[in-house]
Amino acid sequence: MTAYEFAFLFLLVLLVVAALAAVLVRGYITSIIVLSVFSVLMAVVFAFLQAVDVAMAEAVIGAGFMTAIFVGAIAKTRRSS
Amino acid sequence: MTRRNVFALLIALTGAGGLFAVLIVYGGTGEALPALAATFLERSIADSAAVNVVSTVLLDYRAFDTLGEATVIFASVTGVSALFVRAHLIPQSRGAGILVERAIGYLAAFFWLFPVYIVLFGHLSPGGGFQGGVALAVLIILLNVVYGTERGASILTTHRLHLFEDAGALAFLLIGTVGIIQGSAFLANLAAGFPGGVPGRLLSSGAIPLLNLAIGIKVASGLATIFYEFLASWDKAGARWKP
Repeated sequence: MTAYEFAFLFLLVLLVVAALAAVLVRGYITSIIVLSVFSVLMAVVFAFLQAVDVAMAEAVIGAGFMTAIFVGAIAKTRRSS
Repeated sequence: MTRRNVFALLIALTGAGGLFAVLIVYGGTGEALPALAATFLERSIADSAAVNVVSTVLLDYRAFDTLGEATVIFASVTGVSALFVRAHLIPQSRGAGILVERAIGYLAAFFWLFPVYIVLFGHLSPGGGFQGGVALAVLIILLNVVYGTERGASILTTHRLHLFEDAGALAFLLIGTVGIIQGSAFLANLAAGFPGGVPGRLLSSGAIPLLNLAIGIKVASGLATIFYEFLASWDKAGARWKP
């Protein structure tokens, strides 16, 4: 196993760990932050697979836009309930 | 572990196993490249003079599909706007304080540079209108968080954002119509008479930079609209939502 393959495998394992943590962690805000970490890891995986355009879209949408939308939505719903 | 948890775990494992099997069967075919991909890689520079092959595929060979994707975003923005049509934007955040405002004020110019670079260099380097547009929308959200939605919403009202989005969508369609006027296909690039130029230059590859710019404006204003609509609230009079 080369160093490249080992790094890729490590990333994939981290990806699964991040996905599980996003579901299992307590608290909505923490879950969203872990989800954005998942998106960043996913972007790195896409960059590893030489799909840089997709990686850029994943990083910008998953880590940037989705986080903002989720935080906004949770801030709105928590106040009314 | 209750029976319901076991059931959920079973469903998850079945789904994961099925996905894995599909990936094993259809994932690696063993060939280096599918035939169409090889053709695209060989002919893209001659066909559209764009160095970034992905942008050639997205905005030249498969530009009609890109129009469909843009329509999907347009429809979702329209749906969110229709849902919140009776809501008003009540300013809630007053900004993040003088220190953060000053610091972001110095950095904002460099922040602007990144999305603009991604959009304008879409035919040369990875990225394009969609990625740059989303980055621009995230930047608008960041400025709203830092300086407060009161100032942000007074500068970029949803009305202006809608105008920007419509202008982007119309520009995309008009650039596509040039192909029909010139006697070629809808959304044709070099066949429609757009100058190809030298591959690798900033002003090259015909209509692709123009389409990137249109998509960038459209996506940025559309996603910023969604963000503003999420912040909007129903006032006392319209508190009850009527379907």
